[in-house]
Amino acid sequence: MSFLAPWFLVLSGAIAVPLLIHLMRRRLGVRVDFPAARYLERAEKEHSRTLKIRNLLLMLLRVLALLAIVIAAARPVARWLGAGHAPTAIAVVIDNSLSASAVVNGHPLLDQFKSMARDVLSNATSADRVWLVTIDGRVHGGTPGALREEINRLEPAAGAGDPSGALMRAAGVVRSAGLDARQIALLTDGQRTEWQHPPAIADAQLLLYTPAVAPPLNRAVLLAEARPVRWTPRGAVATRFLSRDSTTYRITLNGRTFARGTAAPNEEVIVRATPPERGWLAGTVELEPDELTGDNIRHFAVWIGPAPSVAVAPGAGPFVKSAIDVLRSSERLVDGHDIAVITADEFTAVPALITAPTDPVRLGAANRALERAGIPWRFGTRRTGDATVRGTGMDGVTVAARYDLVAQPGTPAETLAVVGRDAWMVAGPRYVLIASPLTPEATNLPVRATFIPWLGSVLTERLVGEPGQVITAAPGASLPRPRWADALETIDGQRTALGESLEVPTRAGTYFFIRGGRRVGAVVVNPSADESILDRFTANDLRDRLRTDRTVVASDAPAWSSLAFRAAARRSLIEPALLIALVMLVVEAIAIGARARRVA
Amino acid sequence: MESSLRADLFDPSSLAALGRIEIVARWIVDGFMSGLHRSPRKGFSVEFAEYRPYQPGDDLRYIDWKIAARSDRWVVRQYEEETNLRASIVLDVSKSMAWSGVAMGGTKGPGSDRLTKLAYAERLTAALALLLLRQRDAVGLVRFDDRIRTAIPPRARNGQWRRVVAALDDPGSGRASSAPDALQQAARLLSRRGMIVLISDLLMDLPDVERAMRGLRAAGHDVTVMHIMDPAERELPMSGEALFVDTESDLAVPASVADVRAAYKNTVEEVIGEWRAMFGSLGIGYEVIATDAPFGVPLRRAFAARQLLP
Repeated sequence: MSFLAPWFLVLSGAIAVPLLIHLMRRRLGVRVDFPAARYLERAEKEHSRTLKIRNLLLMLLRVLALLAIVIAAARPVARWLGAGHAPTAIAVVIDNSLSASAVVNGHPLLDQFKSMARDVLSNATSADRVWLVTIDGRVHGGTPGALREEINRLEPAAGAGDPSGALMRAAGVVRSAGLDARQIALLTDGQRTEWQHPPAIADAQLLLYTPAVAPPLNRAVLLAEARPVRWTPRGAVATRFLSRDSTTYRITLNGRTFARGTAAPNEEVIVRATPPERGWLAGTVELEPDELTGDNIRHFAVWIGPAPSVAVAPGAGPFVKSAIDVLRSSERLVDGHDIAVITADEFTAVPALITAPTDPVRLGAANRALERAGIPWRFGTRRTGDATVRGTGMDGVTVAARYDLVAQPGTPAETLAVVGRDAWMVAGPRYVLIASPLTPEATNLPVRATFIPWLGSVLTERLVGEPGQVITAAPGASLPRPRWADALETIDGQRTALGESLEVPTRAGTYFFIRGGRRVGAVVVNPSADESILDRFTANDLRDRLRTDRTVVASDAPAWSSLAFRAAARRSLIEPALLIALVMLVVEAIAIGARARRVA
Repeated sequence: MESSLRADLFDPSSLAALGRIEIVARWIVDGFMSGLHRSPRKGFSVEFAEYRPYQPGDDLRYIDWKIAARSDRWVVRQYEEETNLRASIVLDVSKSMAWSGVAMGGTKGPGSDRLTKLAYAERLTAALALLLLRQRDAVGLVRFDDRIRTAIPPRARNGQWRRVVAALDDPGSGRASSAPDALQQAARLLSRRGMIVLISDLLMDLPDVERAMRGLRAAGHDVTVMHIMDPAERELPMSGEALFVDTESDLAVPASVADVRAAYKNTVEEVIGEWRAMFGSLGIGYEVIATDAPFGVPLRRAFAARQLLP
C-alpha cells in the first residue's frame, strides 16, 4: 500500500485526542456532593473489568475511526484491496479515420467509439488526468466534461490520419502527467493498412478495443486524375474503382456532369473530353453511396485553356522537331511564336527551352545571348564521357557530352536534373536551360520514350507563363509552401494567405493556389486509396503488432470501459477507509446507545 | 387544614412548605388517623392521672359522663401506666442526612423541591411521635451523628411531644454516623421491652449495625428500621463525568455516570438486599423510604410494625 498524499498522515496525531480523553477522563468533570459515594465505589470495584473493557473498546473504536479518516485523506492505494481506481493519466485515442466512419449495424463505427469514450470519461475522478487524442494526432486536454464536449464535436477525418503519431503523442502526454498509473485507451477499427507500422509504446498500458464484426463491403474511387493537368483544351480523366463487381460512376467538372459510365473492378478508365470551360477547375469522380461514403468521391483539378504556340529553331535538331510535330498533331501545341525551342547561341528572348550549342565554337555567342536575355546561367567547361542524369522524368537518361552550368552570384536556382553533383537542367521564370544539345551524340534523352511527354509538360505547363501546378496531398498533411503562390482558396471560396508552410486542409476537396488574384494551381486533397481497403486485424493480431510493454485487449465495449483506469493494478483505498471509519462510528454509536438503553 | 384532606398523602416537600414542623406533623397525624377504622389502643391502667379531651376513636367507656353532664364537655379519664408500649425513635442527624438529590436532576413533577433526607426524617419523627403519644404510648427520642446529640427518655405525658419537636432543632450534621452507640443509648432509655424505630440513611457499616441490633433483639426490643433514601441515591440521574464526593467521609469517586449507572443501581439494590436480609434474619422490620414519598407511607409501615407488638 502506498499513499498519494502522504503529508496528510501527520493528521494521525489526532488519535491522541480520544487517547487523552480515555486516559484523563478520570481527572475531568465536576465535583458533586454525593453521600452514597460508597455505593458508587463499590459498583466500580465490582464492575471495573467490564467498565474498563467497554471504555477500552470505545476508545479503540474512536481511534480506529480517526485513523481510517486520516488514511483516507492520505489517498491510499493498494494492489489487492480497495475500490475505484488509483489516480490515472489516461489518453483516450479515438480512431476517427475515414474507415471508422463505415456504417456497421446501422450506425457509424465512430459513433460507437465516441459513446465508449464518453463512458470512460464519466468514470474519471478529479485525481485523474485525461486527454483525448484523435487519429490526426491532435491532443485535447482538460476536464472530463470538456473532453466529452470535444468528443461530441468529433467528425470523421478525410483520410487515414497518423495513427502512429497519435499513439506517440498519447504516450507522451500520459508520461508527462507524473502519475504512476498511465494508460492509453485505444478505440480503432484495426484496419490493416492503417496499422502496418505501429510505434513502440513504453511506460504505459495500452487498452485496445477493435470491433469483432466483419467490415462492410466497400466500393471506392481509387484514382481520379486529369491527364495531363493542362488541357489545351482537350484532355482526359483517368479513374479506377474498388468494387467486387462492375460499378457505375459519374465524372463532374466545375459541378457539371460531363461523363457517366460503368467500370469493371480495378479497371483503369480513361475518359477523354474537350470541355468548354477555361481556367483552373475542380472535378470529381463519384460512385453511388455505400456504407463508407467518404471514399465514394474523389477530387481532381485541371487547367483548361488554348494550346500554346511553339517555334522550333533549326539548331534544335530533328528529334526535337519530330516531337513537336507529334504534340501539334495531338492538339497540345500549335505553330506560333509564344515559346521557342532553341539553342543558346540563337536564343533571343523568353519563354524558351534553351539547349547547349552543338558546336563548341558557338559557346561564347551562347553565353553572350544568355547575358543579353538576363538568364543567370553560363556555359562553362565542356565535359565528355557517359554519365547518368537524375531528375524527375529522367529515368534511364544518360549524357555523353555536356557543359558545366555556372550560376551567376545571387541567382535563385531551380535545378530540374543533375549529372553527378553538377546541374544539367535548370529552370527559371519562363525558361528551361539544358547543358547538352538535344542530339543523340550528346544525350539519349531525345530518343527515350519519355521524351515527348516530358517535352509536352515543359512546353504546356512550365513555359506557358503560369508557373502553377497540381499538388496531391493527404488530408492534414504539412508541405513546403510553393513559392509561386501566396494564398489558398478553400472549397467555399474563402482565400487565406499562405504561411511558411502549407498546412493541407483536413477536408477532402480541391483547393486552388492564388497568385496576384488569379488561380495558378491547386492542391487536391483525397484520402489514401489504402483507406478504402477495410480489411481488419483481429484484436489479438493487432495486439501482437503493437509493440508495447503491456497491452490489454477488451473483448467488448463494456469490458473496455471497465478496464479503463486499471493501469496500475492498484485500487484506491479511500472508500474502504471511509467505510471502516463509518463502521467504527456506527459500532460506537450502537455501543453507547445500548448502554443508554440498559441504563434507562 | 381540614383533616379530610389527608395531609399524610401530600407531597412531602409541598406539605413541609406550608408550616412549621409541629403543625405539619399534626396535619399528617390527623390525616393519618382519619384514615383508620378503629383505635389501636390496647388497654388502660386503673391509677387516675388526668383528664384530656375526647378524641374520635377513644373508647366510650373512659368518657367521664359526670363532667359531660355538668360542663357539656367530653373528656376521658387518663391513668398512669395507661400504655403498654414504650417507643424510642433513633434519628440519624449526620451530615449525609442533610442532603437532597435535587441538584443531580432526575426530579419531575411537584417534588422538584425535594426535602433533604434529614428534613423528611425530622417531620416523620415528629409525626410518628405524635401518633404514638396520641395512642397513649410513651415516646422518646435519640438523635445522633458521630455522637449522641439528644436523648429524651420515653414518656407519655402531655408536653412530651413538644420536647421531642424542640429537640429536633438541636445541632447535628456531624461527619459520621455512630448508630451502635445511639441504639445502645435508646435501649438504656427503655426500662423494659419496647419498640425502637431507627430512622437513618444507613450510610454506615453493616456489621456494626448488625452487632447493635443483635443486642437490642436479645433484650427483647422490637426494632423497626426506616431506611431514608433520596431517589437520586437509587437512580443516579445525572449525566456526564464527575468526581462524586461523600463530604461525610471525604470519599471521592470519579465516574462517568453513563458508564456506571447500571452497575450503581445494581449495587444499591444489592445493598438494600443485604440490609433487608440482615434485618430479616434478626426479626427486624425494614422499610426503604424515599424522600419523595408521602408521609403516610412510612407512618403506615411503622403502624403496621406497631401491630406486631405483643
